[in-house]
Amino acid sequence: MAAVSRQIGLRAKGLGLILGLALSLQPSALFAQARRIISIIPSTTEMLFAMGAGDRVIAIGTYDKYPPEAQKLPRVGALVDPNVEQILQMRPDLVVVYGTQTELKRRLERANIPYYSYSHQGLPDIFSTMRSLGMRVGMAAQGEALAARLERQLAAIRAKVANRPRPKTLLVMGREPGALRNIYASGGVGFLHDMLEAAGGTDALADIQRQSVDVSNEMVLARAPDVIIELRYTDEAINRADLDVWNRVSAVPAVKNHRVIVLTGDQFVVPGPRVADAVAKMAAAIHPEVGW
Amino acid sequence: MPARTDVRRRLTLTLTGFGALTVIVMLLAPLVGSTSISLSRVFDRSIPFSDNVDAQVFFVARLPRVIAAALVGAGFALSGVVFQGLLRNPLASPDTLGVAAGATLGAMLALTAHADFTIFGIGVVPLTSFAGTIGALAIVMAIAFARRRGTSSTVLLLAGIAIGALLAAAGRFIQYFADVTDTFKTVQWLMGSLDVGSYAPIVASLVPFGIACAGFVTLPRVLDLISLGDAAAEARGVDVVRMERIALVSASLSTGAAVSLGGPVYFVGIIVPHIVRLIVGADHRLVLPASALFGASFLIVCDLIARTIVAPVEMPVGIITAIIGGPFFLWLLFRGR
Amino acid sequence: MLEARNVAFGYTRGSRILDDVSVSIAPGSVVGLIGPNGSGKTTLLRLLNGTLTPLAGRVSLDGAALSTMRRLEVAKRIAVVPQETQVTFDFTVLEIVLMGRYAHLGAFAIEGPDDVAIARKAMASTGTAPLESRQFATLSGGEKQRVVIASAIAQSSGILLLDEPTTALDIGYQFEIASLLSSLNRERKTTMVVSTHDLNLAAMLCSELVLLKAGRVLAVGPTKDVLTTGNIRRLYDVDADVVFHPRAGHLTVVPVARAD
Repeated sequence: MAAVSRQIGLRAKGLGLILGLALSLQPSALFAQARRIISIIPSTTEMLFAMGAGDRVIAIGTYDKYPPEAQKLPRVGALVDPNVEQILQMRPDLVVVYGTQTELKRRLERANIPYYSYSHQGLPDIFSTMRSLGMRVGMAAQGEALAARLERQLAAIRAKVANRPRPKTLLVMGREPGALRNIYASGGVGFLHDMLEAAGGTDALADIQRQSVDVSNEMVLARAPDVIIELRYTDEAINRADLDVWNRVSAVPAVKNHRVIVLTGDQFVVPGPRVADAVAKMAAAIHPEVGW
Repeated sequence: MPARTDVRRRLTLTLTGFGALTVIVMLLAPLVGSTSISLSRVFDRSIPFSDNVDAQVFFVARLPRVIAAALVGAGFALSGVVFQGLLRNPLASPDTLGVAAGATLGAMLALTAHADFTIFGIGVVPLTSFAGTIGALAIVMAIAFARRRGTSSTVLLLAGIAIGALLAAAGRFIQYFADVTDTFKTVQWLMGSLDVGSYAPIVASLVPFGIACAGFVTLPRVLDLISLGDAAAEARGVDVVRMERIALVSASLSTGAAVSLGGPVYFVGIIVPHIVRLIVGADHRLVLPASALFGASFLIVCDLIARTIVAPVEMPVGIITAIIGGPFFLWLLFRGR
Repeated sequence: MLEARNVAFGYTRGSRILDDVSVSIAPGSVVGLIGPNGSGKTTLLRLLNGTLTPLAGRVSLDGAALSTMRRLEVAKRIAVVPQETQVTFDFTVLEIVLMGRYAHLGAFAIEGPDDVAIARKAMASTGTAPLESRQFATLSGGEKQRVVIASAIAQSSGILLLDEPTTALDIGYQFEIASLLSSLNRERKTTMVVSTHDLNLAAMLCSELVLLKAGRVLAVGPTKDVLTTGNIRRLYDVDADVVFHPRAGHLTVVPVARAD
């Protein structure tokens, strides 16, 4: 069948699952295989490569740093600055865009190029996206397999920490270097919070119910977390002197008991196939007593 | 307004009044916060400090914050007064002359380059933002004072605006190479934060503040005279070129130190001088010291509100200064005159 | 005795605003500086109070060169009344007048009761005593100039340099200021140098005139000798009648036609 040239934006949750389930029996019924895919989102790029669609990806986004095979592909921008001209010129048959990129979507509609609209909230969304994206590119089975495998890995981690007490954990997403200022941490909702829960920790700021919370010195002392995890997203070496700033609040249990841990890597900010790896690292940091 | 004849008497009154306000605010502010602590535990010597949560809340979280707020508030208020007099423009603020754009650029550079060193306990971002201020000041001075005859306020203003625009553009250029996390950190820095958490940056800031104050004490009468025009001030015996240089350097050092310590909370520098003038009049011998004292109190109170009003979370102090300062100013304006 | 001897001045090399200008201001006299726009009147005034330094020649006060005197010393003896005074901040009249005492006090001193007394006397001389507590910015043009003159008197009772003191005022205030200056000169023996466009004002006030054209002295001398039809034609390209007005008591100038 000729490729359906209708533009459909998909809501990742729910609908994707149902459709994926219904259509996994007829892989070529609604969507033919997409052969020229552009993905400007790091997580969907990783998903496509992980489910075996990597050879069909013709261009990626500015910040897509993984997997290594993708790095040689041309880059066409990202959320704020997609290079629309270049995207159109490459004549893709599917472009994976952010849900908020209304201008880009309009241009693609005018050029009759189908797009997949990506939006993301929590941990479960990763799996529904994998399934619906797999179906959308005509690789529903592979998408399903990828999602299922990761769900199993996560379930295994959850099982390992299930009977352990859950320490109060402050998950620091970033701060001013060399100081305990402008600290922002997970506040009970969102993807990082979900990962923390899966890894067997309790969010120290769970009651605040915000994705990102500005944390002051007083708040750290008041919340008295048992574990502090600092996330760093690049592979730069950790400066010991920079971490020593936590000693200023030595009355915090996490500092007193030397449980301030730095986790590096961008898998913590890319809600994609490496999420199980990220959760495993977090779990190992929070529950070193369990064998990993 | 009653006949204002005795400057000496009014000066004593002003300093006593604003001084008392500042002392009271500084004593009370560390006692208030989103966490309840017990003062007896805070000062209980039998508990080792490294285990004493209450003491750490008081001495690590709150007290440095209050002191920093005092210095930053005074610093911006003073530089605001001086810039307004120097530029003969009541709407001038600490960031009119581009020296503040240098501070922002310095901070952005540190954040984007992922620098994370500390020197003597002072983080990299305060250091680079202060360096940025000095750099911008040097450029503005080189341009404005290149003319042998010195400068008119128009030349100074134009040089400052040009430099400010150039530095802001440089900042945007750097943003282009920054990733999302760096941009987020820059946005956070721009909202200001007095949560210094240690005394090292406070002590370090006393050096430029001290130098700035040495300059400020020579300025009050001179600012009065200059506000009537450079030529008029010269005719009254003021060495205008020299005093304008002192004013520019002092105000820039004060701005730079304040930005390093607390981030770009410039609104304090516009609003406090105006409020103070509505209370004490236009004489800079009163306005300058009163602005320093009132600026300190004002920012301490704003920060106190910022850290308690939406507990358990905190608001950026810059929002509170605007919400309080704006209407307060309007009220004063409409009740008198 | 304030004297300029062969002074020259220019901001850029090659173009001179003033060249080879000599004037002598005798104590107690009122000397007028007359000339078209751009003839260098304001520059000459600035040279006379030491704000500018001449490229050639010298300006001296009682024999001592101004360039060797300290700025504050000069300010104590010579005060300036500019054409207009714009205030940025809400100073009161008394505060403006007290600013004249700066040269006598310096940067750190605060005015004492003596200074306030001097300021009040100066205001009395200029009829501005009732305005003491008013905001300067709310005064009329004439009142403002009178306050500024009071400030200048508080600064120095010796020599006043006035740069077009009535140009920005309407005819009523012009007359008011002119009368004030006249009486100040009579009663306090204040020496004055008045630059002006208003030839009638000059005729009324000044015992001596200096005519400047293109930066050079065209003529200098007693008013009745210098204020002639011929000189006016040379200065302004205007044909004017110079007539003694019996009721006014001084010469008056009436332009009649363009001189081509």
